[in-house]
Amino acid sequence: MLKDITLGQYFPGNSILHRLDPRVKIVLTVLYIVALFLAKSMLSFVFILCVTVLLVLLSRINLRVILKGMKPILFIMVFTMILNLFFTRGEGEPLVHVAFVRIYREGITTAVYMLVRIVCLLAGTSILLTYTTSPITLTDGIEQLLAPLSVLHVPVHEFAMMMTIALRFIPTLIEETDKIMSAQKARGADFTSGSLLHRVRALIPILIPLFVSAFRRADELAIAMECRCYRGGAGRTRMNRLHMHIRDYGALVCMVLFGAGIVVLNIYTSRIGYGL
Amino acid sequence: MSTKLEVKNVSYEYSPNTPFAASALTDVSCAFEAGMITGLIGHTGSGKSTLVQMLNGLLRPVSGQILLDGRDIWENPKQLSRVRYRVGLVFQYPEYQLFEETVSADIAYGPKNMGLDGAEIDARVREAAEFVGLEADLLDKSPFELSGGQKRRVAIAGILAMRPEVLVLDEPAAGLDPIGRETIFDAVRAYQQAREATVIIVSHSMEDMAKYAERLVVMSESRVILAGTPDEIFRRADLLCSIGLDVPQITRTMMRLSELGLPCRTDIFTIEAAKEEILRLWGKERENA
Repeated sequence: MLKDITLGQYFPGNSILHRLDPRVKIVLTVLYIVALFLAKSMLSFVFILCVTVLLVLLSRINLRVILKGMKPILFIMVFTMILNLFFTRGEGEPLVHVAFVRIYREGITTAVYMLVRIVCLLAGTSILLTYTTSPITLTDGIEQLLAPLSVLHVPVHEFAMMMTIALRFIPTLIEETDKIMSAQKARGADFTSGSLLHRVRALIPILIPLFVSAFRRADELAIAMECRCYRGGAGRTRMNRLHMHIRDYGALVCMVLFGAGIVVLNIYTSRIGYGL
Repeated sequence: MSTKLEVKNVSYEYSPNTPFAASALTDVSCAFEAGMITGLIGHTGSGKSTLVQMLNGLLRPVSGQILLDGRDIWENPKQLSRVRYRVGLVFQYPEYQLFEETVSADIAYGPKNMGLDGAEIDARVREAAEFVGLEADLLDKSPFELSGGQKRRVAIAGILAMRPEVLVLDEPAAGLDPIGRETIFDAVRAYQQAREATVIIVSHSMEDMAKYAERLVVMSESRVILAGTPDEIFRRADLLCSIGLDVPQITRTMMRLSELGLPCRTDIFTIEAAKEEILRLWGKERENA
């Protein structure tokens, strides 16, 4: 049940995407998102879809896993599609006109574009980042990318450490929640029936033990870190330092080309009059 | 002897249809006799905890049946909560499930869910606290003020207050000192005798099992591989060792003595029995000398 959530989970592997430098991957993800929102025409959306499929293939992650990760936002997808379908006003005659419902050609295309955008956004970012990058390397990357900010007294290291710890404890807390839920069910707790108020109340026996154990874990972790002489970021060296390889530069160049490609396709289609 | 709870050809798999799929139980069958303490032993990851969660319907078998008094507990899934009141399950480290403001309110959580009236709940809370040896003045304290061992006893009392016919405990003594262990096991035995309950205890400690269990079920790699009286089980020391388990320390000692040439019995599992045997040998030696 709770364990089935895969959004934001790392799948160990050895594909080219797994081996890219985390800093590069973060930059790639940002570029990818910008490119997604630059796309305006049918051709550019087709192009994006192709590149995203390529990313899926490159990551060698089971397609089923990726689709399962999208399940939680299925509702949002459908909702956005419906809104766009019915509320986009276009020029010319509506395709369907029943009572107050008017569907225009533009409505259909916008709805499809939005769907492609959301699917690609989720698939692309999770493949580039969360599925192929272990949380630890990810925060390493973030820390180094933000390192210049420490000149402005931004506590970058502390921020990164907090991220690492938070990420590290998500699965632990999920497991813990599962366990506490089972334990309370064994005492006759019922989380699925009754009025809303009743169901909210039924959560108290889960939330309190969960908070107590989260604080206990935090306490224990703090002591364990102090025992190993952790004093924050100043003067701390690293065992694994990040190095840029040719493949990292190559990936950056590819992504810039990708963004440029979309812009070019946008301009091209608007010239020949296909821009929708 | 009659069977209270029967596990029939049960299989279970975690995260089916994903890369993380793992078989946890493979065609497991075993029976738990009414009114007896049965020990469930096995190496870490052998499927004990999974099996235990099947017994009160927290997990649903992929195939097979769990029969309580001869009836499948999944016969009517809407009645599952009733099954859970009849089969009380104490999880590993149950002290982490406490949440109420006072000890007595926490113990009362189960009975309250059963829909009992105030006076009955009160009586059950007192009775359960007595079984586990909690002093009356602790009942009004916050459970978070208690020591680890006391919290554990409160959590167990929370299950006992439901007066289950079958009491299942997953590693009830894990992480406790010897006195704490004994208190817990004595409480369980007191409850079993007072209510003629069927008890199932999961444990790693062969010593505790030798001392308290009347029957043993041995699991390895998601299967039940042996079942019988402690006597029958601990005779198979080789088999137990091959699946990462052990015989009680005192049995090892007796086996070593016999290897060294002393004509002593090796089917001895408790210190008391060993003492008698050694005294017997000692007496014999004296006569010879």
